[in-house]
Amino acid sequence: MSAFYRAVNWNRQKYIFDGLLAATVLGYLGLFISLSLGQDSNATLETALIRGLGSGALVLLTVILAVGPLARLDRRFVPLLYNRRHLGVAMFLLALGHASFAVIQFHALGDVNPVVSLLTGGADFHDPATFPFEWLGLAGLVILALMAATSHDFWLATLTAPVWKGLHMLVYPAYVVLVGHVALGSLQQPGPPLPTLLLIASAALVLGLQLFAGWRERGLDRQQASVAAEGWIAVCDASEIREGRARMALVSGERIAVFRYEGRISCVSNVCQHQNGPLGEGKIVDGCITCPWHGYQYLPDSGQSPPPFTEKIPTFNVRVIEGRVYVDPRPNLPGTRVEPALINPGGPRRSA
Amino acid sequence: MTPLFASWFVWLTGGYLLLGLGFAIPFAFRLVNRLDPVAAHGTRPFRLLIIPGATLLWPLLLRRVLRRDTMPPTERTAHRNIQ
Repeated sequence: MSAFYRAVNWNRQKYIFDGLLAATVLGYLGLFISLSLGQDSNATLETALIRGLGSGALVLLTVILAVGPLARLDRRFVPLLYNRRHLGVAMFLLALGHASFAVIQFHALGDVNPVVSLLTGGADFHDPATFPFEWLGLAGLVILALMAATSHDFWLATLTAPVWKGLHMLVYPAYVVLVGHVALGSLQQPGPPLPTLLLIASAALVLGLQLFAGWRERGLDRQQASVAAEGWIAVCDASEIREGRARMALVSGERIAVFRYEGRISCVSNVCQHQNGPLGEGKIVDGCITCPWHGYQYLPDSGQSPPPFTEKIPTFNVRVIEGRVYVDPRPNLPGTRVEPALINPGGPRRSA
Repeated sequence: MTPLFASWFVWLTGGYLLLGLGFAIPFAFRLVNRLDPVAAHGTRPFRLLIIPGATLLWPLLLRRVLRRDTMPPTERTAHRNIQ
């Protein structure tokens, strides 16, 4: 969080992450180019570089798409999620390098505008052997450019998180067209079909992870919270919530997060105002609900970010009766303070 | 794609981006301060970083500048829509 915008909110973890990322990318490129030149006597440095940049971008994109479901299945992957934007921008730069070198190598040597040359090359959509796979690459690159250009938090605030997320969901169609781009490009080259097989395996892995994580999430929303008197909803027993953690439930069309802390219970909307991250998967840090994605914080009783920050999320009225937690399904205005419910009204408060 | 259509496509796209860049530079260094109080104190690298996005999305931003918006819009979620 920051009270004003910087290009990047650098911290030690981000320096280490970006250093490792740069070293991995450079190592991959070096290895790919060395192996390409060593194994194929006809390969040129330019061709090896173009293929290295393109394959590196696709590997990174595969990792990016796998990180989301992996973080949901195993919390040890959350640090990768935290830095996913850096992965995304690095992936775009690799893809841009691939496209730029390819256009220079194959389309810039004539007297026609290189992009016009790219678009007017012999196109036969009915035959995979001559299908203009470059068009798929161009379409994917345009989407990646839009995503990279709007990756800063300023765009989240300007577009609002739901619109921004919708825009960035275009990564899935981008992945589909880029897999098509690489598969067709690979099939149109002489040689063994190993790259295509690896590509199909990685796409199947991404699809399988996404489906499995989605199936697990759907199970959570299917757990019915029972409706009690006056329309209040019985969510769970207070004893089922770990100290400083939350229990989530689907209420009024969206998830709520019921937090237990210092002998009290508070309830907020589960949706972080930053990137709509799942607050209920976070924990209380320094007295604040802390989003697991990027560390945005909210006071549990009011849903307000601590000053000088201005983010606010809706809160819910909450009661604890005989150890059971009840929530009023009507959300309060974002930032509305609600008196926390005491777990043991007569007993002492416990500090975290 | 015919060469004529491809040429028009390239010229129109280039024109859109050129207009966008012409808008994005003053937007990043001056106009953005009116739309978002948090951006008003933004650093210079931040302003450089938003130029590509402003170049692509300039019609949306221009509309907000002309409407004299002073705050970013509020997001819509199920819980916020009920209120």
